[in-house]
Amino acid sequence: MTAQYRLDATFAALADPTRRAMVERLARGDATVNELAAPFAMTLPGISKHLKVLEQCGLISRTRNAQFRPCHLERAALDSAVGWIEENRRIWTERFEKLDRHLRDIQSTDQTRGDDDRG
Amino acid sequence: MADAADELVYTRVFDAPRELVFRCLIEPEHLTHFWGPAGVSTPLETIKVDARPGGVFETMMVNDADGSQYPVRAVFVEVTEPERLVWTEPDSGVTTTSTLRDLGDSRTEVRIHQVNVPAEYRSPEAQAGFRTSLDRFAAYLAKLG
Repeated sequence: MTAQYRLDATFAALADPTRRAMVERLARGDATVNELAAPFAMTLPGISKHLKVLEQCGLISRTRNAQFRPCHLERAALDSAVGWIEENRRIWTERFEKLDRHLRDIQSTDQTRGDDDRG
Repeated sequence: MADAADELVYTRVFDAPRELVFRCLIEPEHLTHFWGPAGVSTPLETIKVDARPGGVFETMMVNDADGSQYPVRAVFVEVTEPERLVWTEPDSGVTTTSTLRDLGDSRTEVRIHQVNVPAEYRSPEAQAGFRTSLDRFAAYLAKLG
């Protein structure tokens, strides 16, 4: 899975309220499927489907050999999603700052030059 | 609780008429002045803009300190002068909508709305989830643990 595809999959996974609740629960510590299912009025196969989505994008991992296969939150995957959002916000904030200055510059020039560049 | 903000939204009011702000968003001679964030340039010769649906929107941001390059390829989906621009980045699936609102008095509000999830993932359920604001959720998640 490429990094970008994984990031897309991460955002898609987090778009669902049930899966977000599971991620929040796992942020407090590992949990079994039964423990994760407890707060939800949902069948175990339904819960498993959500867990599979979280597992596929790398947000959680499950121990292969233990009988109850506890789920574990992979913080690096979460951090990369959060990092992407923060970086994106920074880019647009700084871009807007520069655009603001640029608009001031060209408008003060326009006044002395007239409308000759308006096509 | 959550307002109507979906996904990532950035809004800013500029002291300039809407037509001028719109031109800044589609003309390389303007884009080169502001497209890169702080410490990053976007050389004029790297900017390609064909402002019509299906037309290219390509930029190359260059880090002033170490010269590293960040090429971004996008394609316009909608160009409605002077109020709306939509482009999508095929490599990442990010779609960006810019909406320009004339506030009168030569002021313009620019609203950038980004959907960073490919359409095939966006079930009605997922869209409802995103309306709780992914941006705020990220801030919350960053605090966990």
